[in-house]
Amino acid sequence: MPTQVLAHPAEQALVLLLPTELYTFGGTLAVLASIILISIVPGQGLGRIYRGFRIAKGFDIGVAPHLTSLVSTILFFALLYVGIHGPNDPQSNLLPQVIWTGWWVGLFVLQAVIGDFWRWINPWSGLCWLLFNGDAPLLRYPARLGAWPAFGIFMLFQIFLLADIAPSDPDRLATLAFLYWLFTFAGMALFGPAIWTQNVECFSVLFRLITSLRPVHCGKDVRIGMPGWASFELAPLDMARALFCLSILVSGSFDGLRETFWWLGQIGINPLEFPGRSAVVWSSTIGLILANIIVICIYAACVQGGIFIARRFGTLTPAPFAPAFRTYAITILPIALGYHFAHYFVSFLIQIQYLAATLGDPLARGWNLFGLGGLRVTTGFLNSTETVKPILLMNVAAVVISHIISIAMTHHLSGRIAKTRRDLILIQLFLSILMILYTIFGLWLLSTPRGA
Amino acid sequence: MSNGTSKKTDLNRRTALKGIGAGALLATGAMPGSLGFAQAQSSAPIRIGFQKHATGIGAAYGRWYDATTQAAVKRINDMGGINGRPVEIVVEDDGTDPKRGAEVLEKFANQHKVDVAFGTLFSHVVIGSAPRAGELKLPYFVVSEGHHVASGMLNRYTLQPGITDVKSQVQSMAPFVANNLGKKVTMIFPDFAFGHDHRDFFSAAIEAQGGEVVAKIAVPPAETSFTRYFPQIPRDTDVVYHVMVGPAVLTFVKELGEFFGPSRPEIFGFIDSLEAVDIQSPGLEFLEGTYFWEGNPRHAQENNSEFDTAYRAAVGVDARGASLDDPKDVSTYAHMFGCWETLNVIKAGMETADYQGPQDRAKLIGAVEAMTDLPHSLDHPQGAKLFNGKTHQVFGAQFISKVTDGTLKVEHTASIEDGMYEDEVDYTAQSF
Repeated sequence: MPTQVLAHPAEQALVLLLPTELYTFGGTLAVLASIILISIVPGQGLGRIYRGFRIAKGFDIGVAPHLTSLVSTILFFALLYVGIHGPNDPQSNLLPQVIWTGWWVGLFVLQAVIGDFWRWINPWSGLCWLLFNGDAPLLRYPARLGAWPAFGIFMLFQIFLLADIAPSDPDRLATLAFLYWLFTFAGMALFGPAIWTQNVECFSVLFRLITSLRPVHCGKDVRIGMPGWASFELAPLDMARALFCLSILVSGSFDGLRETFWWLGQIGINPLEFPGRSAVVWSSTIGLILANIIVICIYAACVQGGIFIARRFGTLTPAPFAPAFRTYAITILPIALGYHFAHYFVSFLIQIQYLAATLGDPLARGWNLFGLGGLRVTTGFLNSTETVKPILLMNVAAVVISHIISIAMTHHLSGRIAKTRRDLILIQLFLSILMILYTIFGLWLLSTPRGA
Repeated sequence: MSNGTSKKTDLNRRTALKGIGAGALLATGAMPGSLGFAQAQSSAPIRIGFQKHATGIGAAYGRWYDATTQAAVKRINDMGGINGRPVEIVVEDDGTDPKRGAEVLEKFANQHKVDVAFGTLFSHVVIGSAPRAGELKLPYFVVSEGHHVASGMLNRYTLQPGITDVKSQVQSMAPFVANNLGKKVTMIFPDFAFGHDHRDFFSAAIEAQGGEVVAKIAVPPAETSFTRYFPQIPRDTDVVYHVMVGPAVLTFVKELGEFFGPSRPEIFGFIDSLEAVDIQSPGLEFLEGTYFWEGNPRHAQENNSEFDTAYRAAVGVDARGASLDDPKDVSTYAHMFGCWETLNVIKAGMETADYQGPQDRAKLIGAVEAMTDLPHSLDHPQGAKLFNGKTHQVFGAQFISKVTDGTLKVEHTASIEDGMYEDEVDYTAQSF
């Protein structure tokens, strides 16, 4: 997925014929209007929609997730086998298809919208339950490390995704996936599965954050609410998780940015003659790190600026920066999800076909499992305005709606810090401006020409 | 075998498995190296490494190059293979990246033990890979249409016998343009090497026809709006020759149409701009009445050859050059025939050389270098070809089509001679 059919020439050319400035204008207006509308609502006024409504009694799932995780472990190793011994073409090998298309793109979205699938299908928890159920860990995890290891490993993962020259190469991917599995399993064995999952295993940290957005949650009761209602329980996050939230967004955004004519111009590459990923390893790596630093600093400045003007021109009593920053960070998650969707949607529509076709014959024996062996991949929907336009509009909607959800969440959380209406508006002022600018940026990303 | 628009074929996927299996055996010393191969040579498959643009900017082409390759290999195997041995395709993804391309050639030679490598389209990957092919002494058959083979830039192990090069294509357009569309040509091209090649090749060719290039408008590569360049087009221009590429190409043609309105000069371009684009898509009406170079006519013509008809059926493409399964899934028809024809050249070369294994690679290259006439046939469905063994480059017919009621109708077929030029290298003088 990271290197796949993103640069489909026909789709790009057709998008440029569409009135994309109008979409950007309309989308930005919608975000602006929602900021104004929401600012009228009192601080805790959104509390009603941000309460989970009970729809059914919860039920005990017992050890079921451990059992499915055990199955997942077996399947994971089967996948590694296919990765090493299967076809060399990543479009025909199940490992890159499952990891990039099924897991990174697909599961990410399902996790945020439907349910906590990762809990059921991660390849460690079942095995740990089986082997060390209830045993005291051999070593004590250094508490001062917190979730910083997870943040660091996630950044390394993003660098691999964006900058490696062949992240879909089945051999390479199988080797790295196995090493990461081993590292994680060893960590869980030594320090205990729970603490490792919370602090070091970055995908568990990621998926736990992102799954808090889903409308339906099942605990003692099954409850439904506005997207993000359950995220508020997590705020304020610890600082590592707060930065993690921002990093999900920034890394996704930068992945889009680095393909644009604009970025290629910055690094001195002719956008019509993209020389290949090997020529941009360092610019992508440094760019990713810089983008993270820059956006984190801007976000922090907006939070601090809001506190400052709410004190200077309002009635806000002294409010420390760090807790506010850690509180607001959770509101970045919907935008991260929206960008993830929009960034990958087109290639997902192609790659999911390859995944299905490969599933029909996972061991390359000429099988026709599930009737999928004869499936023929098409990219015809990218060759015509009739289909390219609705696809683009879906992406526009994903970006705009994700910003609106984030704005509503920000407003609701501001009520924890500011009590008067004036303070409420002032404390969010810079964050609101940032939201508008980021919306424009996101919509520009969808329509600007890409060369990589 | 499934239509090539699907995933790898069974044969191909099995091949990949065997390749790694063989590598593992070698690593454990279980396979006695060349002795084992020699014993098995009479029935062991001929292994052809396919350097595929599965990912990266060439992926849209890679998918169709793959489909054509699988179809060609199926036909060869159905006819009894090469020298009585079946052909297996070993696919590796080069990521449309030169560094990765060179790595892939190494894997072909050292891990997969292929007999030859084949298939690359994008010039920078060819240029990045070819030196490694020379070092590995691995015959490398490219399908790239770049002039770098015939220019002498590469080496004796790199050949382009299945598709013509851009110099020949551009040059052969000049007689038709001068005699039918007009003598005064304004060229609009992106301002980098690709555009400069067109500018230089075509300027010389049109002057030889008594025409002239009245303006050369170089557009910066990152430009996405073009209206401000159009006032530079002289009023007495008969023909606008454009070679814009990249995502803004449709915007370019649209703005050109809007700029001129109904009283426009003739407009001539290269189908590369529109490969894999459905030209009947809403919004592309402005293409009506314009001319395009086509390497192979996408839309079946009234007098279509039986060879093209059979080739379409084998690859799984309909009369409009789209997938039989999805009429919107337009192929890269102008280029992909090169894979089919190259594989047939490899077959013919191996048969002439009585190719038995890697020790006969030089004999194979010698046999291909000795080729000249390649007649129009199902082996060469695009048309007759003339191979130049000294420059390792094939020459063939070119087509000029006019968009008429949303269909590309061939107006002119340029002869092989129209595209010939002086040799710039003699690779046969280089040692193996």
